[in-house]
Amino acid sequence: MSLNFYRRVAFGLSPNEKPDKDPLNWAINQLDTIPDLLWPGTIPTEKDLRKKYGEWVYGDREVLRKKFKNDKHAYRKAKDELRIKTGERYFELNEHAIRHFQTKHSKQPVFERFWLFWGNHFAISEKDFLAEFSTGPYQREIIRPNMVKTFEEMVQSVTTSWCMIHHLDNSESFGPNSKKGMEWGETINENHARELLELHTVSPNAGYTQEDVIQLAYIMTGWAHKWDRKNLETGDIWFDQEMHQKGDKVVLGVKYKNDAKRELAKVIHDLATHPICIKFVSTKLCRHFITDEPTDEMINPVIEAWNKSDGNLIEIHKAVITQAYKYNEITHKFHPPEIWLMQLSRMFDLNIPLSFEKMNYTFKLKPNNRQRQLSWILREIGHSPYRAKQPNGWSDLEVDWVSPELLLRRFWFASVELPMLVKSGNRSHGFILSCLKNNFEDHKNMASLIDNFRFGTSDYDLGQKYGVICNLPVVLKI
Amino acid sequence: MNCTRRNFLIGGSTTLFLSGYFPKISFASMQKKNLIIISLRGGMDGLTAVPVIGDKRLKKLRKKLILEDVLNLNSDFGLHPKLEIFHKLWQKNQAAFVHATNIPYTGRSHFDGQNLMETGAHIPYKEKTGWLGRGLLASNIIGKGLAISLPMPLLLRGVPQNNNFFPSPDFVETKLIDQIYNEFKGEHNELIKSTLDTIRQRPLSMQIATDSDDRKKLALEAAKQLKDQSGPRVAVFDLDGFDTHAAQGGVDGAHADELEEVNKIVTILHENLGQAFDNTLILTLTEFGRTIKQNGGYGTEHGYGSAILMAGGLLKKSQVYTDWPGLKKKELFEGRDLNSTIDSRVVYNSAMSICFNQDPEFLRKKVFWGDELPDLSQELFKI
Repeated sequence: MSLNFYRRVAFGLSPNEKPDKDPLNWAINQLDTIPDLLWPGTIPTEKDLRKKYGEWVYGDREVLRKKFKNDKHAYRKAKDELRIKTGERYFELNEHAIRHFQTKHSKQPVFERFWLFWGNHFAISEKDFLAEFSTGPYQREIIRPNMVKTFEEMVQSVTTSWCMIHHLDNSESFGPNSKKGMEWGETINENHARELLELHTVSPNAGYTQEDVIQLAYIMTGWAHKWDRKNLETGDIWFDQEMHQKGDKVVLGVKYKNDAKRELAKVIHDLATHPICIKFVSTKLCRHFITDEPTDEMINPVIEAWNKSDGNLIEIHKAVITQAYKYNEITHKFHPPEIWLMQLSRMFDLNIPLSFEKMNYTFKLKPNNRQRQLSWILREIGHSPYRAKQPNGWSDLEVDWVSPELLLRRFWFASVELPMLVKSGNRSHGFILSCLKNNFEDHKNMASLIDNFRFGTSDYDLGQKYGVICNLPVVLKI
Repeated sequence: MNCTRRNFLIGGSTTLFLSGYFPKISFASMQKKNLIIISLRGGMDGLTAVPVIGDKRLKKLRKKLILEDVLNLNSDFGLHPKLEIFHKLWQKNQAAFVHATNIPYTGRSHFDGQNLMETGAHIPYKEKTGWLGRGLLASNIIGKGLAISLPMPLLLRGVPQNNNFFPSPDFVETKLIDQIYNEFKGEHNELIKSTLDTIRQRPLSMQIATDSDDRKKLALEAAKQLKDQSGPRVAVFDLDGFDTHAAQGGVDGAHADELEEVNKIVTILHENLGQAFDNTLILTLTEFGRTIKQNGGYGTEHGYGSAILMAGGLLKKSQVYTDWPGLKKKELFEGRDLNSTIDSRVVYNSAMSICFNQDPEFLRKKVFWGDELPDLSQELFKI
């Protein structure tokens, strides 16, 4: 088995890891349990950060805007101070650090790859202040614990999470015949219902109609944040009967009797176990780990494992890895920028992320450049993980990641930024060669391409070497 | 006034059948013509951009999204106040609008819709190339596409050697590419290899470092390149954020902010293209319009018919070109959306025929699989 398997299903091997005798078992054994988060720094809870979110929007909208309504300059100054005080400019940086520390050091890197996959399948796109306060904790507290449960349980948790409900506007969806809908003349907001069908479960392949979307939106009415003056939209999620559409509903030909909050679990059960949903999600999994256009032959064993285990994600993950192993030598897969960066960090033991001590934040000054570095790099290489443009998340296709500028930015990172992230003990040529040997069959050829710079250890020399190495076809893709 | 179906239609025939085509060759083709597409992702609300002021129903259905200070176009249509440049160009016959138009897609999914607005096809994800890329290829215009975005938009795919401009913050030593270029072997590396080819042939002005957040700088560079007689002939801008389910707003608000971005880009292009603006067409593209009615969050839902905003010296005249479907409940698509009475691909096919000096018949066969797309060149553009 080629060494590239360690990059296909994980992040490559760090300098102190060696290839396993049985790579398939090595990978499969990582999927039964949820590894602890390793970041030694602060890992705030979703609830804490939602509180901060509340302080930020409340403080700004309800307090500052009124207080400084006639003084734009003073308003801006006060708002900047509030940003610092509430961590508005900080928490996303910390979340990136938690994420990259995990993919770099986890003893179960294969599990972590699935973590990235599901976080992107149930993507939270750039909206309001979600990336700052909410998307990171959502990845940790909603996505991660469900990865050893069933797909259906994952969908249930995601759909009723504060983050997704805010993201897709379900708090603004009123049953037109509900108490509040009638009183206030309000109606549904279809956004969440549509994406639950289209992106999270059955996909348009299921052939649902506009009426199905409306009926599902009816079922979902009432699942909203609890509003109050102080927390505004950041209150806990609850089921508000007074917003809920009364009467029976029909989605994809199945009737759901008027049953208040219990309707949602029933419809999610049917959607998450729908054969078209199973095929859609299995295909996405194979696309992520095997190749852009997976064949039925590749996908079918995953569907079988899904059916056999009633959607148990551990079994599904194992089937995906087995298929990835089986097709490792005959398929190619291009890696999007963030995974590429994580792999470089692990294989070459780069200083990514910054040490937790240096990530400490006092809520007194704005985050410094070092603290902002990782997030800035992610943005510049085009892949800021919690800021997908749309709710379908980041693409998994090579064509979406290859353009002159996107490739140039990888050259830029590897030749200009990366040298500053090489640890002081790792600047020798021998170190690079040993990392190459650990990860690539082709290491001799790779070494020959940087031989001209073998005596150099300056940032410039390292830039020349890494600029070449990191952008070789065997590194950009497997 | 009485806004009923079809009484706006300008240009005679309501059935929009083929008008005679006279091939434009020789002298006309010597002057480079530019086609600029601005993609508006998320579903641009044609009724916010170009509200039908002649129909009281709109105000009734959108009590909280009412537009004040609408710029006047004619007795039937107004213009969103943030679209100032279009209003200015309208006075000079250099802005026009096609209304109640959309791609032939009624599914209301952004992702399927955006895929189709770019591929020009009927089945989502079936085609891997964009109509603009195919149009360039069919016209044998190679290496003349420029995207102002970090990824290469699907719209331009299908013709080799497109460029994009969205520079990184530092200068990149492109000579590094020479050292690894020959390592890209085999079919599976072809896309990257041809992209590296493009990078190696980039003009010096594109090898700068700048802040790509600054849309102004990007549009400036695009204008500079389009102005160059040997530069790109097609540019694609990509804007998102039009999906305003909540807090859509009227004069200010989420939709207005996005329209302001469009206005900024067109303003910069107009200012900096100089004479070349006379040989330029700027058209917008979106996946669908939005519902007539506001929803539970003072926003609007995914709809169907929208509008195309157009600017440039190649326009025939200032006009709102439409086969107006009306806003009565029974006139709406599925009782909720502005209908689409003009397949927007008709406009794009006609625009390509003007800018690429091609027979529209030939293009619709090569690009749109022979779909029935009547030529509107004579109605909309300078021939």
